[in-house]
Amino acid sequence: MTEESSAPRRARLELVVRRDAGDENFEVRQIGSGVAFIQSRPQRLPNGSFELAEVASRVDGQHSFILKNTGTDRFLLLSEAEKFLWEQMDGHTSLQQIATAYVLRYGEFDFDIIPNLIRKLQRAQLLTMTPTSRLRQALARHRRTPVAKMAETALFALERINISSNNVQPMFNRIYRWGGFVLFTPLAALTCALLAVAGLMAGVYLWPDAERVVSGFGGHALMAVLSVKLLFLLTVGAHQLVHGLALVHYGRRVREFGFTFLHGFVPTFYVDVTDIFMGSRRARVVTAVSGALVHLVLGSGWLLVALWAPMGSFVQAFAAASGVIQLQAFVVALYPFCFIEMDGYHVLVDLLGIPTLKQDAMAYARAVIRGRLPRRFTRQEALFATYVVVSTISVAAFIAFNVWMIVHAS
Amino acid sequence: MGSSADTLIFLRSVRLFRNIEAPELGILADSLRERPLKRGQILMREGDTGEEMFLVRSGSLVISKAVTGRVEQVLARVGPGDFFGEMALFDRSPRSATIQADADTTLLTLDRAALTKLTEVSPRAAAAFFESLVLIFIERLRASGDLVAEVTRWGLEATGLDVESR
Repeated sequence: MTEESSAPRRARLELVVRRDAGDENFEVRQIGSGVAFIQSRPQRLPNGSFELAEVASRVDGQHSFILKNTGTDRFLLLSEAEKFLWEQMDGHTSLQQIATAYVLRYGEFDFDIIPNLIRKLQRAQLLTMTPTSRLRQALARHRRTPVAKMAETALFALERINISSNNVQPMFNRIYRWGGFVLFTPLAALTCALLAVAGLMAGVYLWPDAERVVSGFGGHALMAVLSVKLLFLLTVGAHQLVHGLALVHYGRRVREFGFTFLHGFVPTFYVDVTDIFMGSRRARVVTAVSGALVHLVLGSGWLLVALWAPMGSFVQAFAAASGVIQLQAFVVALYPFCFIEMDGYHVLVDLLGIPTLKQDAMAYARAVIRGRLPRRFTRQEALFATYVVVSTISVAAFIAFNVWMIVHAS
Repeated sequence: MGSSADTLIFLRSVRLFRNIEAPELGILADSLRERPLKRGQILMREGDTGEEMFLVRSGSLVISKAVTGRVEQVLARVGPGDFFGEMALFDRSPRSATIQADADTTLLTLDRAALTKLTEVSPRAAAAFFESLVLIFIERLRASGDLVAEVTRWGLEATGLDVESR
């Protein structure tokens, strides 16, 4: 059987078309759906109902665009060619004419680009992606096992706990007006830098006496660890709060703020900062970094408290442990090479101008593993390879370090 | 106009009358009136009133339903041996579609009085007639379902609407 004959037949409509309404003169026309499709005239949203922001890749010079529907607050990532097509969709130009314009502009035609773009626009697919938990996938596969079933049910129940609000912009505006704006001044940056230096010096000073410092927990180690963790959770809320204030600082909207269990078991606060996509690169970088700086400031502050507290006291042990965990959080949040899309990753992709770096790099790695090596090794492919290799080494090193710590401690 | 014998021969080839014996069919043939149509002539328009059904003796017609302005959707084409217009015969409602000859055509009309007469003279023949009618209705209902599916598919393909991944 040939490929043509196995392809599904296009639907046809048979229509009677009269010369005038009610006239006896008529002709019967058969209209195939394919003809109707290429003659349809897609209409984009009217001006003012959308925003378009440019993201320039510093690796291969290509430009991407973020398209925002201001009515629904949904975002789409468009390539330069897709942006060109989007601009043609004025309600007067047929798809056939748009395709012709595309060929004249780019000298070639990709037969999938228009249907794919239309599907994307119809779905208004968001850039923020909900990560699919590997753990949940594994539990789903073993649902017949009672333990897996119970774990899945518990995670599902926890995952449904979501305390959030979509109407948080007034709250963030008020916090910003009542002093939040200070965080985005040169004085705040200078204070942060001085605190960081002082905190690190305190940490270096305390390091030789680490065992004596930790001994301050005495017989309350479990309670101490739990309270340090609880306090840390609250500071995650502060981290997200500062992200939101950064949005206000740059005139963008905070769409949501809340608390949930990430993947069903990691309690966390979160803030929806997607509106910053429409801001400048500087605004996006400041928004990403400012949240993480909360941990640097708090970590440094705790280490200074530990330095001034009596040696071997509970206060010193608590402050030192909190300081270390805050500095760890700072590093983890800003370290971009770990396959997790945290603040540092967002800064990296913004500086590179490749919003889908991780996805593209993973796709590249999969292609290489399957033996589908590209003909040319471009700068972009070198970047993908570097991201995958460095992230793999980083994750391996992190695991190895923790294993070493556990072994050493025991 | 064809002779009564010719009409009888024609009726025997019509599926609707296949199970009716010759004597009863003769009674029915006497009640039918012939109606010629020129190519392009409109027999009835959607919304017209009427209380008869039609058998196509020769030629062909297009059955269509108004969609917008000058455009109508073709629901079916009928040719020799087919029949149409039976809905108004039974429920007296306005015609549901426009019917127009797309070739020179000859029709036979069957009105309510002729059907009543057949029922009175031969209940068995009337039962055979109605049984055939129901079977053909079922086929047409199935065809309507197929048409709805085809039109829906057309709409999805024509707009490029991606339903599967939604």
